[in-house]
Amino acid sequence: MDIQSIIAYILVAGAAAFLVKKIFFKKKKKKDCGDCGCN
Amino acid sequence: MAGSLKIALIGNPNTGKTSVFNHLTGLNQQVGNYPGITVERKTGSCKLPGIVKGNIIDLPGTYSLNASSMDENVVIELLLNKTDKDYPDVAVVVTDVENLKRNLLLFTQIKDLEIPTILAINMADRMDKKGISLDIPYLESRLNTKIALISSRKGTGIADLKELIVNYKSLSTEPCLHASSIDPDYFNKLRKAFPNELLYKLWLLISQDANFGLSHKTELMGTSFTKTRADLKRLQQKETIKRYQFINDVLKVGQVIDTSKAKDLRARLDRVLTHKIFGYVIFLGILMLIFQSIFSWSELPMGLIEEGTAWLSNFVLGNMAPGKLSDLLANGVIAGIGGVVIFIPQIAFLFLFISLLEESGYMSRVVFLMDRLMKPFGLSGKSVVPLISGTACAIPAIMAARNIENWRERLITILVTPFTTCSARLPVYIILISLIIPETKLAGIFSLQGLTLMALYLLGFLGAILSAWILNKILDAKHKSFFVAEMPNYKLPLLKNVGLNVLEKTKAFVYGAGKIILALSIIIWFLGSHGPGDNFSNAEEIVKGQQRPLNPEELDDAVAAYQLEHSYIGIMGKTIEPVIRPLGYDWKIGVAIVSSFAAREVFVGTLATIYNIGSTDNEVTIRERMDSEIDPITGKKVFNFATGISLLLFYAFAMQCISTLAITKKETNSWKWPLIQLFGMSAFAYVVSLIAYQLLK
Repeated sequence: MDIQSIIAYILVAGAAAFLVKKIFFKKKKKKDCGDCGCN
Repeated sequence: MAGSLKIALIGNPNTGKTSVFNHLTGLNQQVGNYPGITVERKTGSCKLPGIVKGNIIDLPGTYSLNASSMDENVVIELLLNKTDKDYPDVAVVVTDVENLKRNLLLFTQIKDLEIPTILAINMADRMDKKGISLDIPYLESRLNTKIALISSRKGTGIADLKELIVNYKSLSTEPCLHASSIDPDYFNKLRKAFPNELLYKLWLLISQDANFGLSHKTELMGTSFTKTRADLKRLQQKETIKRYQFINDVLKVGQVIDTSKAKDLRARLDRVLTHKIFGYVIFLGILMLIFQSIFSWSELPMGLIEEGTAWLSNFVLGNMAPGKLSDLLANGVIAGIGGVVIFIPQIAFLFLFISLLEESGYMSRVVFLMDRLMKPFGLSGKSVVPLISGTACAIPAIMAARNIENWRERLITILVTPFTTCSARLPVYIILISLIIPETKLAGIFSLQGLTLMALYLLGFLGAILSAWILNKILDAKHKSFFVAEMPNYKLPLLKNVGLNVLEKTKAFVYGAGKIILALSIIIWFLGSHGPGDNFSNAEEIVKGQQRPLNPEELDDAVAAYQLEHSYIGIMGKTIEPVIRPLGYDWKIGVAIVSSFAAREVFVGTLATIYNIGSTDNEVTIRERMDSEIDPITGKKVFNFATGISLLLFYAFAMQCISTLAITKKETNSWKWPLIQLFGMSAFAYVVSLIAYQLLK
């Protein structure tokens, strides 16, 4: 595998990891915050 | 001389306090600084009835006794320190008759320090013009004070004010709000620890950041009465709410504002702009003007961005060695970023207009106007802003729903806004309309194609309203919300505010949704340029073996199309073909639908690649190719009238926008709502398109 392919696949893996993180790992809610969707 | 009185003039900024000071003191004024700080200190003397001399100190304007600036500290420091040589015998709180509600907050706080306090209601000469009437005896009895109606502009009521000042000893020092009601347990403990101190004064000492140089502050800070900043903030908010509840209660009876009797320019403008008929006509006119400008002004920068993106892609391909990375950069990353950046001009112009309307005070009138139309559908008057903004792009539109206070109304607005026809649907609509609607004119004037496009816009708005009505029934409200909004004065927008607002919103769009769009573009690139098995990897040999001799360009296009068919995304298209067949779509349309899930406009580009054309920016060629495409199963044109209408309806209603889903997730802080949006809209689009195709085929 050439260097271009390695970098390209790293970027693809990064993008997939980013989307997985966005979908499955929610940010912790701030304390005392209601369910208003503000944060 | 019978003696001298120390009088403090206190009030919110812009209430005419200094004019009152000038009326009272004439030329007997001294201007200096407060000791140790550069805050201006104005004092003066005046002759009061009964040969009493008044020493007046004009304190800096402040909105409340919750100090946040040096000017405000000066006010609190004086009013909390009885040993100060300027500690007043009587306080005169100057208020503006047009902003009485806001101004009374400070009045109630000063009253609670048990200082004899007079309420001077300034600008009384404008009451008639503004349609304001006050029940003075009622206000005096509820606020435990004496009121002077004055006009610093015309100099009226000053003699009455002087009379009240002289008779300050008859003023009640009964507080408006008992401090203990803020937090009974905490304040009872405080009372027991400091029985000789005024409770509200102790509370101000505890809750303020400043030290005021007072011994009590140090004493209190060393006790168990100190609270965390968050707790103090919470109690301060509770105090403010309780004060406003009291003020609202008092003004409900004591103040009547009848705008129909008002005679000033603002009232006259309001009568026209919120008129039952003219109000809507003017609003529609302004909207047409705005959208005309958005589309025409954005054309040039959007074209430049498009050209810039294409140039960058070519530059990368031309200057990098061929390979996966150059392909990813050119067709994934740059295309992805280009897909975000292309919307910046429209978003910036849209927010520019929204900011101008908000800053000028007109938007509050629109919200008031639309509230009566929107309410039956479970929407707020404020929902009109996102619904209008959605015609450019649903992402900033959903962000614009932030100013809807009621969470349920805001949620419904967020969920239905993507029905509004956004600019990303336009390329899809235009190409499909040109394929299935003839270029004829109705009555020789109206283009049938143009009317179809307008009907699709109306359809989107109807879709939004209808789904809001359904959601309103499902998300049954426990309590109804009422529309309460203060109509601000009309004013010239501040360019700095407008500029900052546009910048902030545009940045939020680029950095918020942009990351997700970019990540998804990279994934789609991967799925479209990779595939399993020999069909994908040996595409060139297979194509050469199957087809007549082709020139190099035709061969490249044919190989690209074959590879796409056997790529992961192609396989996905083939897999979903049985599901989309009843709607009249083949696998190629299926692939375009799947790929345009990232952004609707990708549909045209994907079809162009699939149909082996090579150039994606030549719409005529694409159209001709699409027009001549024959379905091998039915033997009919793929883009016939039934399929075309079915596709138009599908794109009108389906949730084909990953970035809108991302922004819905961000705004609702949950994946539940974007998923409901995705499946709800897609199911609705599917059913409508299915019915349309089956009826028309």
